[in-house]
Amino acid sequence: MTSAGRQLWGAFADARQGLRSRRRRALLAAVGVALSAAMLSAALVIASGLGSGFNRAVRAANLGDLIVRFDPQPASTVAKKLDALPDLSGFALRREVTSLQISFGDQSTSNAVAEVIGSGRRQGFALIAGHGLRGTAAGVLVEPALASAWHIHLGSDIYIRGLGTQPVVGIAEGPDDVGYPLAAARVYVSLAYVNRRFGRDSNPYVNFAEVWLRNPRYIDQVLVQARDESFGLQNLQFATQSGTRVLIDQAAGIVIDLLVALSIIALATAAVMLAVSSRAEVQRRLRAIGIRRAVGATRGHVALTLALETLLVAVPAATLGTLVGWLATYRPGDRLLALLNEPGPGAQLILPLLACWGASVLIPVIGAAWPAWSAGGRAVTSLLRGADVARARSPRWSRPRRTRGRGGSLTRLGARLVAARPTRLAATVTMLACSAGFILLMIALASTLSSLATDPQELGKHYQLTAGLPPSDASTVARLPGVQAAQPRYEVHAVDGYSLGEIVDVIGYPRDNDEFESPPLASGHRSHGDDEAEVGVGLADALGLVPGSELLLELPTGRQLQLRVSGTVNSLDSDGLVAYVPAKALLAADPFTSSRIAVLLNPGANETAVSDELTKLGAAPQQASTATARGGPLVAVLKRILLAVAIVDGLVCVYALTQACTLTVQERRSTVAVLRACGAGGGAVRRLLLGAVLVLVVPAAVAGVLIERLLLGPALSNLAVSYATLDLQATAADVLVLIAGLTAATAGTVWWVARAALRESVVTGLAA
Amino acid sequence: MRRVLGGVSLAVETDEVVAVLGRSGSGKSTLLHVLGGLDAPDAGRVTIAGEQLTGRRSAAAARVRLRHIGFVFQQFQLIEELSGLENVLVPTRLPGAPDGGARRAAELIDELGLTPVASHRPHELSGGEQQRFAIARALVNGPEVILADEPTGSLDAANGAVVLALLANLRGRAVVLVTHETEAAAIADRVLALDDGALVNSPDGPVDLRR
Repeated sequence: MTSAGRQLWGAFADARQGLRSRRRRALLAAVGVALSAAMLSAALVIASGLGSGFNRAVRAANLGDLIVRFDPQPASTVAKKLDALPDLSGFALRREVTSLQISFGDQSTSNAVAEVIGSGRRQGFALIAGHGLRGTAAGVLVEPALASAWHIHLGSDIYIRGLGTQPVVGIAEGPDDVGYPLAAARVYVSLAYVNRRFGRDSNPYVNFAEVWLRNPRYIDQVLVQARDESFGLQNLQFATQSGTRVLIDQAAGIVIDLLVALSIIALATAAVMLAVSSRAEVQRRLRAIGIRRAVGATRGHVALTLALETLLVAVPAATLGTLVGWLATYRPGDRLLALLNEPGPGAQLILPLLACWGASVLIPVIGAAWPAWSAGGRAVTSLLRGADVARARSPRWSRPRRTRGRGGSLTRLGARLVAARPTRLAATVTMLACSAGFILLMIALASTLSSLATDPQELGKHYQLTAGLPPSDASTVARLPGVQAAQPRYEVHAVDGYSLGEIVDVIGYPRDNDEFESPPLASGHRSHGDDEAEVGVGLADALGLVPGSELLLELPTGRQLQLRVSGTVNSLDSDGLVAYVPAKALLAADPFTSSRIAVLLNPGANETAVSDELTKLGAAPQQASTATARGGPLVAVLKRILLAVAIVDGLVCVYALTQACTLTVQERRSTVAVLRACGAGGGAVRRLLLGAVLVLVVPAAVAGVLIERLLLGPALSNLAVSYATLDLQATAADVLVLIAGLTAATAGTVWWVARAALRESVVTGLAA
Repeated sequence: MRRVLGGVSLAVETDEVVAVLGRSGSGKSTLLHVLGGLDAPDAGRVTIAGEQLTGRRSAAAARVRLRHIGFVFQQFQLIEELSGLENVLVPTRLPGAPDGGARRAAELIDELGLTPVASHRPHELSGGEQQRFAIARALVNGPEVILADEPTGSLDAANGAVVLALLANLRGRAVVLVTHETEAAAIADRVLALDDGALVNSPDGPVDLRR
């Protein structure tokens, strides 16, 4: 065996011996590595899965470089214009039929889209199950989100109005839009089959074109040329791949960017924790290192032994943790991606997970080897002296301190024992604070999501029900038991009067709308009088409106509504493209505007009983709509993901606390033993440990709340939607949940570490 | 399993200083640990100030130590983060400690000539000063029994003599001092020898550390 081989073998033997003699400590280190690895891999699965989902979908579906929508035109006319484009590689034409009724079992929607497709090779969607549409044979393809939501399987029969019952022959994923129910349900139908059913049309009308270029880098030039060539096409809309991505990200709401950002924080936290714990372990063993050096071990041998010892612990722990993190998050992640019409990462995750595993092994190994190498270079005498206790040399520590209660003194002593390692204290508090802020953000986010899904008040809607009755019945409804007030709520869709093509949801109340509906004011003031309107921030951004601007809307009657903007409001309805106008002005422009009666209930009134009364009046009562009414499944999946990541993060917090406390007790075994020799029982030891934990938890909790409220919450409040600001700052209730969790973690840590400390013989502790 | 102590029988009276001599490994420290309830013997019993220590749960044994026993260690065992005064105050702040600890601590520190260095931390003190603080800590709750394990083992001759004089002049207490230094035994009223776990020249009956 060569000299290097002998040295390696010797270090390996020493490492194994070291592990055998410190089994409990090795187990604790392994738990830390496993938890960190779990956190890393969970973060990675989410970040990699969601962050690259759209690119994967584009590749799988071979999505066109350019998507063009327009009013129906003969296919030959469109083809001629497309053929004139430069750098053209190919195109596919299809007809999108909207507002179609489809049903399956008990499920039904009247807002579905049927894509009538030709026989081209490239269609811009990926077939992920079953087979494609075959010539004139019956059969449809459905998107996976619809199949999942309605439990449709291959071979199932779905009803499509106009085509009758059709067998589902395949599942197709089209990344140009999100899936049902975030968007309209989508099915794909063969043009050949439609021709067979309704007679051959040699030049069918199309309203959708997907265009592939030879070199997508020239997309800007092609777009310019396409606009020049598009004369004769009405309502033309172009979308590039990047534009489609933006639209999908918007549709997904608080999804991708947020989770990716949170995952990156988790990655950093896990890395810090691994490094800190490894460094602390070396610090604890300085005397052992000194002894090895004193008996002739080289600096390299010392570092190699520590590295191998850590390696032996980290490899199995990192493997287990990586697997656990992956198992905890890949299913919810895939479900979320399916809602976005994007494929799961599948085997693509193998390399990133291997990298995660490698990082989980390497960070602790380097974290142990480097300080060991560094310590090995110090004077042996200093190592032999320095391993016993920390020596804080600041003169201020030498001043006698007044002490108050008996318990307080022990608690304070515990805190001072931890504070004697200021670097470790700072690193642990920083890590705990980041984790606490992170967990708090997830709690706030989950609360906001729940509120948006269940509480109309989040949208500023104070009424609870609407009734399908004429406006004249408002006074009758107002007299019903449990009803506080009732008013007609007029609603119509208008287009902006500046020819920008924005569809605006126009809402009007006969009197001041504040009582029934008042989304939070973003700027300006509430509207007063018949010539003022409040507009959503989305509409204000689209039309460049500010308080004092003139709002010009074109109603379906063709008449215009002209009002002055009094203020902008944070409305999540209709992507913020909403205007609250006086009913008098609205009715003057369009006397036939549809309305329902908005019903405001007394506090504590029974909503079901009022609904029953309204039904007796012949109204069809409906609950006030929420922001995520269509996004229920998305919210459910998101909450599951947030919960999984929060639980892993919470466990990491508990581990970090336990580790810091255990290390302190291990380093101060003699101190604990002296206390016990002086007559300290279990209660006194627990008070000592309580101080040790509180000095970590209290500043971390305060910093965590500040981080969330001042940094994370505000930073992410605009990320979800550009047209409104969501309040993601933790509420008092959220903070209480965090404090409850930290209190439980503190109690558990104190109990666990005290149990271990009290098991040790006082004599052994005194000899340490 | 190795038999460390066997057939040991010892009774110590109030105001008596008993020195136990022995070579390294003879079982001196083990005897002291058994007497203080830090180690449990396989057989036999220990009674301190009328309270039986053996067979008690660790919490109950801790209460006996708090009220009746003070330990002095060879390595002083002062807590690095605390000043000399705070180290002395530690036993007074344990749950169940007698009242008036702060006053007694101040008196003891004054008596032992430690007032000028009371606010110093252990690494700023000499070995003799550290051991005197350790003795003050052992005395602060007014125990009836002081158990000293090689109290001069880490001190030079001059400081060792000061410490021994302190132990010799303790009033109203029983002192058991284990040491391998014959000079230390000079302060004892009675000198016993421990040889391979057996206490020789000790015809005193059962181990009964009464007042």
